[in-house]
Amino acid sequence: MIDLQQHTLYPGDFALVLPGQRIGGETGILNIGALFGLKISAEDCGKILLGKWSGLTKKEKLSINQILLVNKQQLVLKLKEAQVLMHNLQLELQNEEVGFYTRVNQLLDELFVLVSRQLIRQNNSRRDFPQTFLKLEQTLRQNLAHQWTVEEMAALTGMGTTAFTEKVKNYSGFSPLNYLINIRITEATKLLKKNEVNVTDIALSTGFYSSQHFSTTFKKLTGYTPSEFRKK
Amino acid sequence: MNCIIIIEMGTDAVRVFAFDLSGNLISSSKGHYPTFHEQPDHSEQDPEQMFITMLYILKNLLNEKIYPKKYTVTCICFGSSMHSLLAVDKDGIPLGNAITWADNRGKKEAAELKQSSLGEEIYKATGTPIHPMSSLIKIAWMKNHEPEKFKQAQKFMPIKSYIIQQLTGACVIDYSIASATGLMNIHKLTWDEAALEFAGITPQELPDLHPVFYSGVTLKKEYQRVLKLSPTVKILIGSSDGCLATLGAGVWENSMATITIEDSGAFRIIGDKIIEDPKQQIFNYLLTDKHIITGGPTSNGGVIFNWFAKQFGDFREAFDIDQSMEMLIEEAAGVEVGSGGLIFLPFLHGERAPIWNPNSRGCYFGVNIRHERKHFIRATIEGILYEMYSIGRTLEKHRHIESLSINGSFASIPFCTQIIADLFNKPVSTLNHADSIGKGAFLLSATEMGIYPSLEEASKTVTMHQTYLPNAENHKVYAQYFKVFESLITKVADEFDAISDLQQRYSQ
Repeated sequence: MIDLQQHTLYPGDFALVLPGQRIGGETGILNIGALFGLKISAEDCGKILLGKWSGLTKKEKLSINQILLVNKQQLVLKLKEAQVLMHNLQLELQNEEVGFYTRVNQLLDELFVLVSRQLIRQNNSRRDFPQTFLKLEQTLRQNLAHQWTVEEMAALTGMGTTAFTEKVKNYSGFSPLNYLINIRITEATKLLKKNEVNVTDIALSTGFYSSQHFSTTFKKLTGYTPSEFRKK
Repeated sequence: MNCIIIIEMGTDAVRVFAFDLSGNLISSSKGHYPTFHEQPDHSEQDPEQMFITMLYILKNLLNEKIYPKKYTVTCICFGSSMHSLLAVDKDGIPLGNAITWADNRGKKEAAELKQSSLGEEIYKATGTPIHPMSSLIKIAWMKNHEPEKFKQAQKFMPIKSYIIQQLTGACVIDYSIASATGLMNIHKLTWDEAALEFAGITPQELPDLHPVFYSGVTLKKEYQRVLKLSPTVKILIGSSDGCLATLGAGVWENSMATITIEDSGAFRIIGDKIIEDPKQQIFNYLLTDKHIITGGPTSNGGVIFNWFAKQFGDFREAFDIDQSMEMLIEEAAGVEVGSGGLIFLPFLHGERAPIWNPNSRGCYFGVNIRHERKHFIRATIEGILYEMYSIGRTLEKHRHIESLSINGSFASIPFCTQIIADLFNKPVSTLNHADSIGKGAFLLSATEMGIYPSLEEASKTVTMHQTYLPNAENHKVYAQYFKVFESLITKVADEFDAISDLQQRYSQ
C-alpha cells in the first residue's frame, strides 16, 4: 500500500515513495517476495528531492522534482533497467570499495533521470499532443503561483524547449509563456469576481510578481485595473 | 481603408478574421481553449478563459496585423458553435463552466421527453431535435440534478451571449443560436412556452431575442480604449457556425446542399420554409425568419479518424498525428472501393442524425480472414462518409439535390471528397476560401452594411475552387455496401443500448 493505494509489484517493477507519502501493508506487514529497498533522507524538509549529493544541475533537479510531484499518484513503474541500477547500488554499498561514495551518487542520479524519463514516456505519447497539452494545463492551474519557466513546462511534456514552443504555438496560437499569462488572468478574473480575496493576494496566488505587475498586465489586456474591474 | 472583424467562438478555439470590404481576407488568428471532461458524459469549458483568450487574440491581431496596415475597423460580427449553456447568478457571475454541445449528461431527460407527445410538440415548435445537446435538456437536467445551482441561476445563456455581455453589458441572443437551444418557437419568433415550462424557467431568465442583423449594442469604454476602437464601431450580433458555414458555402440554389466535416459534421440545405419531419430526424435553424437552414448533424466526423490514427497509426516514421494521418490516407487509397466488404459504423461518440441515439457505438462488420490493416483504415474513412450519406438521404426525402459543396478539414481531404462524390453520385465542389464560417460572417456583415442588397446576392459571390465528378462504377459498389450499413444501424439498436449500459456499469 502506498498512500492507501494497493499495488502488486512484479519482477522488474519499481516503486518510488516520496516524502510525506506512506508505505505499508494492509495488515501491518508488507507481503514481500524479494525486493531491493533504498531510503534516501531528504534535506531541506523534502522541498527539493535531490539533495547536495546529486551531480545534476539546479535546473535539472527542479525539473525532476516537478515531474515526480506531478506523478505522485503513479510512481509504480515497469522499469527493468532500474533493477540493474539497484543491484549495482547494493554491491557498491555492501563492498565500500574505493570511490564508492561518488559511484553511489552517480547511480542515484542515473536512477532519478531514468524514472523521470519513463514517467514522461508513459504519460505523453506523441500520438496525442492535445491530451499532453491538457495535462500540462491542469498541472499549471494546480500551481499557478509557481514561477514556471518554458524549460520546466517543456520537461513536463518530455520535449525539448524549441520543439515544445513550436508545438504549443501551432496548437494553441500562444507562446507557452503567453498561454500561461492567459490562464493567470483567467483565474484572477474569477477571484476578482468572487470579491473575497484582496487584490495583492490574488496577484501572488495566480503567479504575478506583485500587485503592480498584476495590475499592469491586467489593465493592458482588459482596459480595467483589477480594482476598477471589481467595482464594475 | 475599412475592415470588418469576425469573432468566431468555435468548439476548441476562438478564430478572429479580418476582411476588407471586398471580402478579401486580410489576416486571421486563432487561440485555443481546453474542454474538460470531469465525468464520461460531461464536456465543459471555462467561460472566463474563453473570454480572455478571445480578447488576447483580438487585441494582438488588431495591433500586429490591422493597425500597422492602416485599416480602420468599422464592424465586428460574432459567430459561435451552437448548443452551449452557461448559468450565471444575480450579479452575472458564471455558476461553474459552460456546458458544450458534446455533453450527454441529459441522456435520460432527453430519452423520456422524446417518447412523449410533449416532446413531439416541442420539436415541432422549436425545430431542434430532442437530444442532450440542446439547452432545453441541459437546463432540465440541472433542475433535476443540481437544484441548488438551478435556484441560484438568474440567467441561462450560450457562451456567445456571455462574451457579448462582457464586451457590451447587454444580454442578447440571435435567432440562429436561439433556434438551436430547443427553447425558441421558430414559427412565432419568441421563446416557446411549452419548452420553457418543461425546462422550468421563464423568458426573463433568457437573453433578449434579436435577428442576426441586430446592432443595438456598443462596446464598453474600457474595451474601446484597450482595443483602440472608435465608439461608432458597429457590433453585429451575428449568427451560429452552422448557419454561417451554409451562407459561406454559397449553396443558395434550391438544388444544392453543403457538407461540413471537421471533428463533427453536418449536411445542410437552405430554404424559405421550415421542413416538418415526422420522424424528428432533422433540425431547422434560422439564419433569418425567411432563410431556414435545415439539416442533420453527426458527432462522428474527423474526430473518429483522429482516434483511429492515435490507436493504429504508424508513429515510428511520423513526427506527429497529422503526418501519421497522411500516411494512413495513402495506405487507404491503395485499397479497393468498399474495403473488400469491411463495413465500419463510426458511432464512437453516440450519434445524432439520423438515428439520434446517444447509446449507439462503433462496430467493424464483415471482417474476414483476408482483411488486413489497410482494409480497416479505408473502412474507417468510408464508414464516416457512409454516415454522412445516410444523413444526406434523410434530407433528400424532402428536397431534390443535384450538387454539393463541401468544407471542413476532413471533408476537403481530396481522397474523402472523391468518396463523397462517388457515394452521392453527384458533383462535389470545394470552395475557394479556407473557412466558410468566417466567409459567411463577412457576407452577413457586408449585407447589413449595404455592400450587398441581400443575402442571396452576397452568397452568389462565393466561388467554387474545384469540382470532383462522381465515378458511376464506384457508386454502384458503394450503393450496395451502403444498404448493409443502413440496415445495420437500425437493426442493432437494442444491442447499442445494452452495450452502452454495460460500458457505463463496468468500465472505468
